[in-house]
Amino acid sequence: MGKSGYVVRRLLRTIPIVIGVTLVTFLILHFTPGDPVRIMLGPYATQENIAILKEQYGLDHPLHIQYITWLGNILQGEFGTSIRYNRPVLELVQDRVGITLMLTLSGLFISVTLGSVLGIFAALRQNSWLDYLCTFQAMFWISIPGFWLAIIFLYIFGLQLRWVPIGGLTGFSSVILPALVIGLQEEAWFARPMRAEMLGVLNEGYISAARAKGVKYIRVVGIHALRNVMIPMITMLALRLPWVIAGSVVVEVVFAWGGMGSLLVNSVLARDFPVVQGILLIIAITVVLANLLADLVYSLIDPRIRVEGGKK
Amino acid sequence: MEEIILKIEDLKVAFDTEEGDVEALDGVELEVKKGTFHGLIGETGCGKSVTGKTVLRLLDNNARIKGGRIHYGNIDLLKLTEKQMEKQIRGNEIAMIFQDPGSSLNPLFTIKYQIEEAVSMYSNLPRNKWNQAILEALQRVKLPDAANLMHRYPHQLSGGMKQRVMIAMMLACQPQLLIADEPTTALDVSIQAQFIKVLRDLKENLNLTVLYITHDLAVISELCDYVSVMYAGRIAENLTTRDLFKNPQHPYTDKLVHSVLGVTTTLEALEEIPGSVPRLINPPAGCRFHPRCQEAIAICSKEAPPLQELAPNHTVACHRR
Repeated sequence: MGKSGYVVRRLLRTIPIVIGVTLVTFLILHFTPGDPVRIMLGPYATQENIAILKEQYGLDHPLHIQYITWLGNILQGEFGTSIRYNRPVLELVQDRVGITLMLTLSGLFISVTLGSVLGIFAALRQNSWLDYLCTFQAMFWISIPGFWLAIIFLYIFGLQLRWVPIGGLTGFSSVILPALVIGLQEEAWFARPMRAEMLGVLNEGYISAARAKGVKYIRVVGIHALRNVMIPMITMLALRLPWVIAGSVVVEVVFAWGGMGSLLVNSVLARDFPVVQGILLIIAITVVLANLLADLVYSLIDPRIRVEGGKK
Repeated sequence: MEEIILKIEDLKVAFDTEEGDVEALDGVELEVKKGTFHGLIGETGCGKSVTGKTVLRLLDNNARIKGGRIHYGNIDLLKLTEKQMEKQIRGNEIAMIFQDPGSSLNPLFTIKYQIEEAVSMYSNLPRNKWNQAILEALQRVKLPDAANLMHRYPHQLSGGMKQRVMIAMMLACQPQLLIADEPTTALDVSIQAQFIKVLRDLKENLNLTVLYITHDLAVISELCDYVSVMYAGRIAENLTTRDLFKNPQHPYTDKLVHSVLGVTTTLEALEEIPGSVPRLINPPAGCRFHPRCQEAIAICSKEAPPLQELAPNHTVACHRR
């Protein structure tokens, strides 16, 4: 069995995970207090109107029937219709997914680059003031709640210094602050493991051997050591992805971007369950796929992992 | 008079540990003659490996070189900057192979890539000749099927093969001096023999100088011309391999040679050295061997004996000689 066989098996293994995720999102929403139909119709709705609307959205059926119907529709690519906007969920998501994706990726980019660079420097200058400073700043940013950091940054750089727009999405300068908030929040998750992994790898025999050959230290670190720390770093990247998405959702709302984050938050408040379920499912599938991708990247980096693919 | 390629004088190295300073080397003195195999022997923890690593300045971060000189030709290696060591000495002039072949090759790169690094730096060959050079490097250490082998990764090789790849890689740097830090210790006995044969062939065919660190006297007798015996961070005796077995002068050397179980010695005749290796955090005063020495006299516990010349190529640090 070749590499494609490995991918297929790995994909099949994600199916139970995705089903589990659908079940949990479905149940959470339906056990949350608050009736979407009552919220939609307001306090003066008649019982009759409520009953009609409930029938329209299939809410009059027993829970398990509702779940199976929903799952069946999703398998056909049908995510349902928003109660609040009266538009297909996929359409709503499509309008906003680009914004969220941009925020997530730029935040992730900042956190990974910043974290890796700081982590490497901290390892190379172990126990120096630079090392302690790296630790301190990482702990500093990770200890501040994201929404609060976003507000403070907005106040300082937007309101007082007027370097960037206070809100909305108006070109590159408006991306900087939100991306920075996410980047700084997540950076510690890459700086700390990078430092620890680097310190471990730099003590390995092959590092001494490479140096004994006369390989320049910058190359020893940048090629021999870095490649060896990439596997734990990629694992970390895949693990942090859901948190970065969650962080984007919050930060995006503070910056009034109108991406998937604000759609999700508003839909939760309105109990617009088709939208919430759809978004959660999409995020879950993204995370599962990212982990699958990480597994495949491992085998590209480390020849010892290729065994499972059966390819030498 | 043969040319001296490496001369270590009064070398002192200490390690900072949580318990305090460990004086790993305390005045090491030895000379390596060009074109010879020079053995460096002693018990585990006596500072053999530290000596080797100090020559290439590859010590761990908690080590400090407290004094001494390491002359390589007319250069004092301890006076060079890290950049100069990297550029002029490591690989180029002096290379080193390490005890554990399993961890000395980077697991994520092919054998070819790792030897190519050396070839690209030192061979002056055009790029299209590199493959040939890598192939020759592997064949020189008698590795079978080198053309295939070079595309493998370290985990696909046995320990003995990895150690031969290490030698091939270091020789591809074309160094004048090779430091071999217990290269056979981690290998099976049968593989050891094979490896030593490879080294002996290299000795005959290349005019290579090797500082061979080991605790294995059999290897010394097979390979080395000269030997330095270390005890607790100091040199006890510098002598020829012949003298090591026929005419050892230092009481420690004598005990060391007679503590080896050979084909002709029976277990009953085997002598053991009483006591144990001293802890270097608080070493004995005077001669560091005196608590275990049957010939010790009053002065031995007070003054460290200097190395004195008994005969050409034979110096010993003992008050009784």
